[in-house]
Amino acid sequence: MTTITQTKLTAIAVNESGRAERMPFIHQVSTMTARAFRNSLRVPFAIIPGILISIFFLFIYTGTLGDAAGFLPGLRGQSYLGFILPLSVLSAALSGSSLAGDGIVRDIENGYFDKLMLTPANRAALLLGHMISGAFLLVIQTGIVVSVAVLMGLEPATGIGGVLALMGMSLLLGTAFAGLPVGVALMSGSSAATSGASFLFFPLSFLTASFVPLNLLSGWIETAAYLNPVTYVIEAGRAILNTGWDGEVILRGFSSILLMAAIFFTFALVALRVRMKRK
Amino acid sequence: MNGEIIGEGLIKQFGNYTAVNGVSFKVNTGEVYGFLGPNGAGKSTTVAMLTTLALPSSGWATVGGHNVVTEAGEVRRIAGVALQEIGLDPIMKSMELLTIQGQLFGMSRREARDRAMELLTIVKLDEPGVMDRRVGKYSGGMRRRLDLALALVHRPRILFLDEPTTGLDPASRRDVWNEVRRLNREYGMTIFLTTQYLEEADELAERIAIIDKGQIAVEGKPEDLKAALGGESINLTFDTPDMALQAQDAVQAMADRTQLDRNVLRLYRPKAAEIVSPVVTALNDNGLRPSSLTLSAPTLDDVFLQVTGQRYEEDAGKGPVAETFTRRGKSSDKKAS
Repeated sequence: MTTITQTKLTAIAVNESGRAERMPFIHQVSTMTARAFRNSLRVPFAIIPGILISIFFLFIYTGTLGDAAGFLPGLRGQSYLGFILPLSVLSAALSGSSLAGDGIVRDIENGYFDKLMLTPANRAALLLGHMISGAFLLVIQTGIVVSVAVLMGLEPATGIGGVLALMGMSLLLGTAFAGLPVGVALMSGSSAATSGASFLFFPLSFLTASFVPLNLLSGWIETAAYLNPVTYVIEAGRAILNTGWDGEVILRGFSSILLMAAIFFTFALVALRVRMKRK
Repeated sequence: MNGEIIGEGLIKQFGNYTAVNGVSFKVNTGEVYGFLGPNGAGKSTTVAMLTTLALPSSGWATVGGHNVVTEAGEVRRIAGVALQEIGLDPIMKSMELLTIQGQLFGMSRREARDRAMELLTIVKLDEPGVMDRRVGKYSGGMRRRLDLALALVHRPRILFLDEPTTGLDPASRRDVWNEVRRLNREYGMTIFLTTQYLEEADELAERIAIIDKGQIAVEGKPEDLKAALGGESINLTFDTPDMALQAQDAVQAMADRTQLDRNVLRLYRPKAAEIVSPVVTALNDNGLRPSSLTLSAPTLDDVFLQVTGQRYEEDAGKGPVAETFTRRGKSSDKKAS
C-alpha cells in the first residue's frame, strides 16, 4: 500500500516541477527532421550519386535513342526528352527513397536509436524525421534533374504547372518507395540488408515501358508492364510533359502511387511494431 | 523523492537460454549499488529490464516507485541511462545531441541549450576545439563522458550505468569514477552500476551484488563481504598443482581455512603474517619451495572465488589483460576477446 501512495505523490511532484511534460508531437517531428536533414547535408556523397545517375540516364537515353524515336509509332512529333524524363525522375525517386532507410539503419547501428527510445519521444516521430527529410532532398534532386532537362531543350506541354506536378509526383513516389527500405531497416537493423532492399525496385523500374511506348511492348514483358504500377506513373509523367493535362492518365498515375504507398507503408508499420516491441 | 530500485524474482529468457534467473534486490534512495559479474552473467539484461528496453519474462521491478512494465514512460522520465554500447551519432556535434535529447524530454530549445552547455562543462567537453568537432572524432573517453552527459540531460534522480568504464584507459576511468561519486554526493542520485571490474565495484559501490550465471551469488557491503572471509591470506605459488596439493597437506593445520586454486595455495587466518615463518619452515621440511609468497588482505576476487567456486579471471574474459592498475590484474577488456 505504501508503494502505491508514494507512486502517486511522486507523479504529482513531477507534474508540479513546472517544466512541460512532453514536447508536442509536431515539434518532435520537426526537430528530428531538421536533424536528419542536417546529417544528410554533412554526408553529401549520399545524395550526389543519385543526382548524377539521373542526369546520366537523361543524356544517355536521349543521345542513343533520341534520333530513332521519330520512327517509333506513337512518339512521332513528340519530344523524346519529355518521354524519357519521367524515367529519369523515377530513378531519382528510387535513389532518394533509400535515404530515409539509410538514416534509420545508421541510428540503429550506432546505438543512437536506443538512446532516443529511452526518451519519452513518440516513436513515430523518430521515423518521420528521416522520411520527411528524405522527401525534401528528393524534391531538390528532382528539381536539379528537371532543370537540366529544361537546359537540354525540354518544353513541357503543360508549362510550369506540369513541371510542378512532375515534382509533386516524384515527391509522393519517393515517399511511397521509402516505406520499403525503412521497413527493412527497422526489421533487420542492418545497413547491408537496407541497401539490398532498394535493388528490389529495379525490376519495377525496368519491367515497364521504359524506352518505348507501352503499346510497342509484346509478350511477357508487356504483361509485366501492364501489372506494374510504375508503368502508370511513368505514363502520367509523359502525358504531363508531352501531351497535356490528360485527367484519366494522370489520375491513374497518382492512384498507382497511392497503391504502392499503401503496400510499402503497411510493411513499414509492421516493421515498426516489431522493432518497438519490448522483447 | 523516491529513488528506490526494486527487483523481485526477475527472470529473462531468450528461447531456451535463461540470461537472468530469479534476481531480487532493493537499492535504497541515494545509494550507489554495484552489480558485479563477468561477461554474460546477466548484468546488461537486468539493466535492459530496469530501463524499459526489455520486458521481464517473469518477476517485477520498480524504479522510483514506477513499475517498469506498466509505467515505462514514467520510468524513462526519472531515470538516466548510459548503456554499455555508447549511443552517439558520429556525424553530429555534442551540443546538437544534448539539445535534441533535452527537447525530447520536454525542454524548450533555449532551456535545452543551456542545460547542454552546463553538462558539457561538467564532463569537461566544453572547449571550443572539442565542441566544434563531430563526436565521431572523439576519443573513447570523451565519447563515454558525452554519453554520460546525455544520460543526465533531464536531471534524473536515478542513474543506470552499464559498464561505464569498459574499454577506457586508466585516466578516463578515474574521471568517470570521480563524476559518479560527485553525482551521488551532490545530487543524492541513486546509482545502479554494473561492472566487470572488481576494483571499480570496490571503489564506488556502497553495496554490491555479485551476479554469476544469471543469479545473485552474494550481496552486501564490500568490506563486510571481505571481512566474512576471515582475515588476511598467505598466497603461495608453486611450480605445479601437485606441489601445491602437497603443501596444503603440510601446512593446513596452521590456517583457519585453506583454498587451493591450481598451483596457488591460500592460507586464511587473522594476523596471517605471524605464521609466515612456521609455514616456510614446514614447507622446507617437506622439500617444497614456493616460487612466490605474498601476503594480502582479502579482495572481492576472494569473495568471488568463495561464492562461485572459481576465480574471477577465469570467467571475466579470455583476452589479454588490459588492466594496468587493478590490484591484481584480474579482469580483462571485454572487447579484447
